[in-house]
Formats: sequence, structure tokens, C-alpha cells
Amino acid sequence: MSHPASAREVGRPDWVRVTLVLGALLAVYYLVPLAALLVAQPPGAVIDRLATPAVQRAATTSVAAATVSTALATILGLPLAYWLARSDSALTPVVTAVVVLPLVLPPIVSGMLLVSVFGPASPVGAVAADAGLQLTRSLAGVVLAQTFVASPFVVVTARAALADVDPTLEGASRSLGKSHWTTLRRVTIPLAKPGLLAGITLAFARSMGEFGATVMMAYYPRTLTVQTWVAFQSLGLDAAFPVAVVLLVVALTALAVLTVLGTTPWDA
Amino acid sequence: MPLTVTDVERAYPGFSLGPLSLSVETEVVSVLGPSGCGKTTLLSLVAGLDQPDRGTVALHGRPVTDLPPEDRGIAMVFQEGALFPHLSARENIAYAATDTDRVEAVAATLGVEPVLDRQATALSGGERQRVALARALAADPDALLLDEPLANLDAPVRERLRGELRELLADLGVPVVHVTHDQRAAAAIGDRIAVMHDGGIDHVGPPATVFTRPATAFVARFTGSTILTGTVTRRGDDAVVAWGGYPLAAAPSTLEPGTAVEVAVRPAAVGLGHPSADGDPATVVAGRVTQRLFEGDRHRLVVAVPGSDEPLAVTVSQDRRPIPAVGDRVTVHVPRSAVHVLGAGTQGLSPGDTTENP
Repeated sequence: MSHPASAREVGRPDWVRVTLVLGALLAVYYLVPLAALLVAQPPGAVIDRLATPAVQRAATTSVAAATVSTALATILGLPLAYWLARSDSALTPVVTAVVVLPLVLPPIVSGMLLVSVFGPASPVGAVAADAGLQLTRSLAGVVLAQTFVASPFVVVTARAALADVDPTLEGASRSLGKSHWTTLRRVTIPLAKPGLLAGITLAFARSMGEFGATVMMAYYPRTLTVQTWVAFQSLGLDAAFPVAVVLLVVALTALAVLTVLGTTPWDA
Repeated sequence: MPLTVTDVERAYPGFSLGPLSLSVETEVVSVLGPSGCGKTTLLSLVAGLDQPDRGTVALHGRPVTDLPPEDRGIAMVFQEGALFPHLSARENIAYAATDTDRVEAVAATLGVEPVLDRQATALSGGERQRVALARALAADPDALLLDEPLANLDAPVRERLRGELRELLADLGVPVVHVTHDQRAAAAIGDRIAVMHDGGIDHVGPPATVFTRPATAFVARFTGSTILTGTVTRRGDDAVVAWGGYPLAAAPSTLEPGTAVEVAVRPAAVGLGHPSADGDPATVVAGRVTQRLFEGDRHRLVVAVPGSDEPLAVTVSQDRRPIPAVGDRVTVHVPRSAVHVLGAGTQGLSPGDTTENP
């Protein structure tokens, strides 16, 4: 039964096979450096390097700042995501463009824009400094940089998840005597939960990995990415790798969380 | 009046509803109309899921137009049930229940106890609608709105649930508005039928009146009547309308002779052959069958009549033998009571009519 079919296809390019080879090539390109890094770095060296105070301080800074940034992105981003998902206002395309701007802007440019707004020479920076709050070269600076760059992930991903919740279900809940807030809490948010968590996870991973805007806003206190850069600059690749491994583990953990949630945004 | 909708208007791009008024006692009103006529919009305005541009909605004399849906006491059952997919059937009902004892009670009323612990997404179409209805009843509403509750069910399930709904809703003791495009469901479930057309209500009345004495040509067509055009030649209790070459004996009408009219003829009331001598006076017409459709439980014949380009439709019981075939010459009789003259002029003669919003 397969014989006539294959006879007909003699001389035709086997597109399935071509596609597989091209795809496999790309997958290998992603995986080889990852494997090389893990093989090249003996666990002992990584652990030794991780024990140094500079790396520990950097890890603390990164985790603390990324946690605060993710919280801010969530608190400020979810209402905006809900509005974008439900509103039929003519403003939504404009607001969407504004939200996506930090995603397409090179992070170093984002950093320059932020410094010009929050730097010590700026009115905002000056007022904050008078009040005793350094907006650059501080943990606050790291948070400002990370929130700017990472919060769009919450808004964009959560918007898609919330838009997937059938408004009829919200209408049903309201007509059953439940307030808008109860409806959100017990219907909308539970149904959108995987997507919301995916957005929050992406924002955290992006915050942990933020470098360009962060290095402009706050060279000190050093985050793990800045620490990696400094180690590379002063001591070379081998010294930078152990810190890089930590960032890699954070990224893989985020990936695992996203896979478990089953709503990887790039699948949607 | 328990539930009143007064002069409600709502405009969208490309469609506008109203001005429309409807009063619903402690009864079931079936709002019947084609898709796109504004039935669901009307329910949304009553439920508070949408706001009218003008007009008011009141429940037991209390205006609710400015209240959010949750404060109206009006529960709505949606076309696909709109069950919360992340909850079980029991949790769906409990979500709305005013107290936990009610969950079991309404589940028993609707016969859904066996599926209470199933996830909402695992229910069949009929089970889903039963749970949706149980959930609405659990909220102990002061009025109930049903949006095409039977539309997406298989025929046997639909017919069973239709019968149950009739009894359940009649016993409920609250005003019920039931929206449907299916005239059988409308007639079976509604104490009264309101026929909607292009955002307005053409005719409100008991099912028998709406079907046999439709207020407009649209209502007549939508409820299955054939429309014929003719001229009144005699008025009164023994009215006659000239159609083609035939003087059609018509139901009572006060329209003056000479008036051009449309008459609605119910195919089910038209008979094959000659009328029995003791029956209603009837007009006998000879013609030829141009189309024959088997509709499952009956045949529908289209009969072309010389002298008119408007064919007559006749429904014939499936037990009848022989069933005339396409091309056969047939004689049909149109009883006086099956011929309803459309337009003004029936009020004085048909006191049973409760036409509103003509």
C-alpha cells in the first residue's frame, strides 16, 4: 500500500526530513553551549566561587530586587492587563504599544532613559535624594531598572490569559448575586491562574537576568549579572562562569515552572 | 406587575433595540424571535449585564435600572450553561447557594444528584443545562431569565427537558423570561409568547392566540403560517376575502370590503380532500402538488393553485394513505377558522386577544 505512494514521490524533496534536520540543527545550537558550560565547570569550583562574599552579596541583591520588582510588576500590571483584556476603548492599542515599548527597547537605552529621569541631576532624583532615598547606585535603582524592563511580561502574558476567560462566566457570576470583586477572585483569577503565574515567573526570570538597564542605574550594589560582567572583565571567562551557572539554574527553574504551568507564552 | 420593562432602548452600531415594553407577571413569558432580533440583548438589559440608553426595568415595583447585576435579584441561565469550568457541578451550585442546604434541594429538584461531584467540563449537554438551572435556583432569585436553554441539546434530551421545564417553571412563583428561536419550545414552556422582530415586540399573547391570530405578517410567517394577499369582499362574523379567483371564508374581521389585506393560513388546519359536512365552513380549492417534504412526523405539501401565484402549504399526517406525490392533482379545503385576516379590525370581535405593542 505504501509502494505506489513512494513510487509517486520519487525525485521529490522529502520536506518532512528537511524540516526535521533544520529544526534539529537549531535545537543542537541551543543545547551544546549549555552542556559545554555544565561540563566545563567542575561542581567544586562553582561551589567555592559561590562561597565568596562578593557573589553572595550579589545573589542577595539580585533575589531581593527581583522579588520586589516582580511584586511591583504584579500589583501594577494585573489591573492594567485586566483593563486591556476587557476594554473596547480606542485607547487599548496605544496603551498596548506603550506597555510593549520596554520589551523592544534595548535595555541599555532603557537604562539611559531611567537615569535621565531618576539620576541625581534630575528633579525627581534630587527630591528623592533630599528625602534620603538614592534612586541610582542603590537597591532602589536596581528595582526601578528591573521593573521597567520586566513588568511588560506580566501585563502581556496576563492580558492574554484574562482575555481567554469568557466574559459570559463573569456575567453569570454577577447575575448569581456576586460582586465584581468576588467574581474576579473566585472566577476570573482562578481560570486565568496558569497564565498569570506564567507572566509573574517570566517577569522574575527577566528581573534576575536584567543587565543593561541595571548597570546604568546601579553599578553598585552589584547584581549577579553585573558581578558576572565584572568577574569576566577583571579575571576572565573562567572566573565569570561559576556565577553564570547560578543564573543558568535560575533560568532553568523558571523554565521548569512555566512548563509545569503548561502555558508557555510562546506556545500560545 | 412583578417584572416590567418600560420603553427600553439600546443602540449599537448596526442594530438598535426598542423602544420596547414588556410586563411579566408571576408566569413564564417566552420571547420568540429569529437570531439577531435582540432577544439576548433584552435579557442582558434586564439582568443588568448591559445598560439601556433609555427606559427602565423594574422588579416588584422597584426600579433596578441603575443597580449592578448582583443587586437585582435576577438570575440568568445562559445558552451553553456558562458553568464555571474550574469547579465541580456541586461547587457551581454552591457558588450561588444562599445556604448550603439549598444545594441538595435544588440538585434533587433537577435530578442532578448523581453528577454533583463531576467536573463541570465533564457533563453532557443536558446535565450541563440542568446544573446551570439548579445553580440559578440556588441563588433564590426574584426573577429568572433563560437564554435558549434547550438550543444546543440533542432532540430527545431537548424534548424531555422541555416537558420538565414547563412544570418546574410554573411552580417557581417568580416571573420567568424564556428566550428562544424555536416556536415549539416557546409554546410548550411559555404561558404567553412575545414575538420579537427587529428589536421590537410584534405580538404578545397566549400561545394559541399568537399562532392562530398573529398580529403581523412577520409573526404569522415566523410561527409557520402561509401568507396570502387578497381583498376583503365581506366583513363581519362571516367575512370573505377574495384570493386569486377564490372567495376565502375568513375568521371574523371588521375591515371594510375593498380593503387590500394579507391573510395568514395555518398549514396544519388546511385539509386534503373535501371537508366533512358537519365541520367548519371551508373554501374548497383544487391545485397541483409542487413540493413534498417529509418532516419526520408529518408531510408538508406545497400546492400551486390556478389563478394565484401564492401556493398553499398543507401538512398531512404521516399515517394518511396515499400521500399525494409531486405533480398530483389534489383538492384541499381551507376552513374558515384557519384563515386569519391580518391588520386592524379584529379587536371588537376577538376578545381573547391580548395584543400589546402592535
